[in-house]
Amino acid sequence: MKGTLESTASPMLAVTNLTKHYPAQSGFGRSSKSVVRALDGVSFNLWQGETFGLVGESGCGKSTLVKSLLFLDRPTAGEVWFRGALINPAKLGGYRREVQIIFQDPYTSLPPRMRVGDIVGDPLRIHGTRGASVIEARVADLLRDVGLNPARKHEYPFQFSGGQRQRIGIARALAVQPSLLLLDEAVSALDVSVQAQVLNLLKDLQERHGLTYIFISHDLNVVRHMSNRIAVMYLGKIVELGPADELTAAPLHPYTVALLSAAPSLQRARGNRIRLEGEPPKPTDPPSGCSFHPRCPMARPVCSVETPPLIEWQPGRFSACHFALEVMELSRRVQTREYGIDTAPPVRAPRGENGA
Amino acid sequence: MPLWIPVSSTDLALIANPINVAGPDFPGSEPTTLAERGGPHGIRAVLGRHKVATFGLSLFLAIVLVAILAPIISPHSPYKQNLGDNFLPPMWSEGGSATYPLGTDPLGRDLLSRLIYGARYSLLISACSVLFGSLIGFAIGVVAGFWGGKVDTVLMRLGDIQLAFPFVLFAIAVLAVSIERTVWQIILVLGISSWVLYARVVRGRMLTERERDYATAARALGASRPRVLMRYLLPNVWQVIPPIALLNLGFFVIVESLLSFLSLGLSPPTPSWGSILADGRQFMMITPWMALLPGIAIIVTVLSISLAADGFNDLVDPKLAHGGYLRKPLPGTVHDPEHETGDCLLTVRNLSTRFLTTGGAVHAVEGVDLHLRRGEVLGVVGESGSGKSTLGLSIIQLLDPSGRITSGRVLFEGLDLTRVSNRKMTSIRGRRIGMIFQDPSNSMTPVLTTGFQLREALRASGPVSRERADRLTREALVAVHIADPDRVLRAYPFELSGGMQQRVMIALAMIRNPDLLILDEPTSALDVTTQAQLLDELDRIRRERGTSVLFITHDIALLNGFADRILVMYGGEVCEDGPERDVLRAPQHPYTQALLSAVERASVTADGRLAAIPGDPPDPKRPLPGCPFAPRCPYVMDICWVSKPPRVPVGTHHRAACHLLTTLKELPA
Repeated sequence: MKGTLESTASPMLAVTNLTKHYPAQSGFGRSSKSVVRALDGVSFNLWQGETFGLVGESGCGKSTLVKSLLFLDRPTAGEVWFRGALINPAKLGGYRREVQIIFQDPYTSLPPRMRVGDIVGDPLRIHGTRGASVIEARVADLLRDVGLNPARKHEYPFQFSGGQRQRIGIARALAVQPSLLLLDEAVSALDVSVQAQVLNLLKDLQERHGLTYIFISHDLNVVRHMSNRIAVMYLGKIVELGPADELTAAPLHPYTVALLSAAPSLQRARGNRIRLEGEPPKPTDPPSGCSFHPRCPMARPVCSVETPPLIEWQPGRFSACHFALEVMELSRRVQTREYGIDTAPPVRAPRGENGA
Repeated sequence: MPLWIPVSSTDLALIANPINVAGPDFPGSEPTTLAERGGPHGIRAVLGRHKVATFGLSLFLAIVLVAILAPIISPHSPYKQNLGDNFLPPMWSEGGSATYPLGTDPLGRDLLSRLIYGARYSLLISACSVLFGSLIGFAIGVVAGFWGGKVDTVLMRLGDIQLAFPFVLFAIAVLAVSIERTVWQIILVLGISSWVLYARVVRGRMLTERERDYATAARALGASRPRVLMRYLLPNVWQVIPPIALLNLGFFVIVESLLSFLSLGLSPPTPSWGSILADGRQFMMITPWMALLPGIAIIVTVLSISLAADGFNDLVDPKLAHGGYLRKPLPGTVHDPEHETGDCLLTVRNLSTRFLTTGGAVHAVEGVDLHLRRGEVLGVVGESGSGKSTLGLSIIQLLDPSGRITSGRVLFEGLDLTRVSNRKMTSIRGRRIGMIFQDPSNSMTPVLTTGFQLREALRASGPVSRERADRLTREALVAVHIADPDRVLRAYPFELSGGMQQRVMIALAMIRNPDLLILDEPTSALDVTTQAQLLDELDRIRRERGTSVLFITHDIALLNGFADRILVMYGGEVCEDGPERDVLRAPQHPYTQALLSAVERASVTADGRLAAIPGDPPDPKRPLPGCPFAPRCPYVMDICWVSKPPRVPVGTHHRAACHLLTTLKELPA
């Protein structure tokens, strides 16, 4: 199902201004001087049944967003509304059942010394299901649902392959019948030949159970295939948001152009891309104004002064760039090879970092 | 990986079968001979392989048996005094008698009986102290690790105080003041003084496990904190205790005798080896055996525990079984008369590498052929179990101790690297062949500056003056496009970003201008944009210096526009190799075709599904007699299960190993 899924109904999940700051130095009695702005005012809506893709590199805040949505860490500021009700971190109750997570590493996401049947069955016990036969039947259903043989419920995780372990993780998450699944790089650690299997399974399950997904990945190809809409994150903020096809065909933010062109591809020759200068910035000392301006190929003076807000440049297309409409020209130049990699500016150390 | 020693049977199985893919049983999948499997697995077989450890274990069990059966086997009561028969020597000495086989002590008590009962008390004290200490230590470690914060700090400082507190002072404080020193008081002293040993390790383990994904998942599922602790964390934490406890057991036997020496041991007449030893000390001149015999008993007990604990160590860590870290060159000539050098820098012929594990032999690489010319880039691509990393390590001769090259040759500029001496190989590494690994944060030591490590690399080829070294290292960093090399030279590796670290690694590898650079997934740990930058760098360097590159990766798309030739591996064997354009545009092997369509995500069915390859990557422990791709191949034929497909040419310098191609060739035109 491609295209936007906005309806007149209200969104299933509404995140407003979600912020999470970590003190950079902690300890007994030491006051923290610098702060890591892991999440810096993130807002978006999520509609029932859609797949919302989240793309970004390390330090962009993807993992923090996941932890904050699960309320494993209390947000510093901002609100999360689920089905119209404001979620209170102190009284999570039913929210825990509604939102579940699938992790990246199939080798550490399952408890190594629990049998698979127990791993999948424990959530049922936690939420009140009683009766060994009831639980057993439900576990068997769940294992079948993800394409595993229920007879293997006595085995341990190490006896399964990576792809099979991810399936176990999915079965575990589905045990509590959630409405929203956070897929945190769920296929990134799998072999390419196995990724497709798991992606197909995820699509099947989405149709069968009416699930909503937030699909986080660094691999743009996968995100494009799976998502209805995509959000691009950079240093704790969403810098672009829009429908998957449109965003990848005609991005409205230079960082998106850079990401798209840097992704290894069999179609496109390697030279066709934006070469980003310098290093990714440190979250403790973000640049002034637009956090991308030190590396941006189209930076202007105003970019270092004013932080661009995330505004809707076209219906459904959001971008946090002062010159969003000019980005299309940049994109065109990359595609027609006017922008290449022959001139190689040196790699600079990030600003604000002192030596040792 | 956290430092931990697994002990349970699940752990043993885990070690023995790291990649045990339970897939459908296909014909010919069972290993053929016992030797292939690396030996049987039953208890008796395991004991058979560890003769020394089994000996130690049996000895210890015998001593425990003696202690348990003391009332039955001891000839006299240990308390019965016979003043008329005191100071008798053992029966083999002059004056000894068979009634008192090992002689008597100053009060005429039979020494043998006292030693037998002494086993009881010594082992009881030791075992109970270990139990007591480990339980307290475990509890405190769990609390400190799980709660963290101030609780953790307070508990750990208490532990520091405990460690700093002189043991003897503590012993005196508790024991000297009591008139009657019982077994339980001694257990108290030993237990309390040892809890820190366990607490620290348990805490460390708990801190690690607490952060793991499965613990987070449990919380996200709604498990309460006590439940996460009990059901998820504790089962993975307690395993650190048994190894420490075992060695502590032996140690406490000695400590108990130490206490007796200080007159803080058991009150007479209770016999323990330590108290007998202490009594015997006074009469060393007259009756030396009174001190000697308990001493021997202590030595034998502690030795048996140590032999058992140490001897069975390789069950929990297979790498220890193969001892020697030193590579042994294979027998044979170093120069191959059949090999024509031409402009081929590297030729690998029929290379096979195996790893010997307790779970069986792992066939990592089977019959691989490749060649690499000067200035060429060869991309080796494969998934898990393909053997690509092992191939790289086999070429540069840096295999784990458990790895063996079982056949083939690695010819580098005419020299067979599998057969050169260690000394020669060391001089080749770094100077003529460089290697870069996946995770740059693990490739450099964090306690030395990058400048130091670069200079060290330079000095490996001979002494270099400090000014020259500084100049060369600076140039090396400039060559990889680092803008402020001086700052980077002064920095420690952990202060640099991943991309910067990997650039430093490239500089390090290139500093002596090697002819061949092997890269094992150098960009997998990096962001997409950094990855692209680094590939540009590598490309530029190799063009400037004419270095040959062997680029190992799991991502075939990276090789587009980067590699000159591509070699595709599956299940330890080569499926296809040829010029980059041909392999990417016109792949001939079904696996290459499937891989490319999976990567491109191009084949999407009407309902939005991808064309997936069914099944899982192969298990290197169970190699098939036929083509490794047979279980997953859409074109599989009967012959594919039974015989290995030969490599046939399918284009200019382009070969593929598939029965389909041989069959097609045989069809009439």
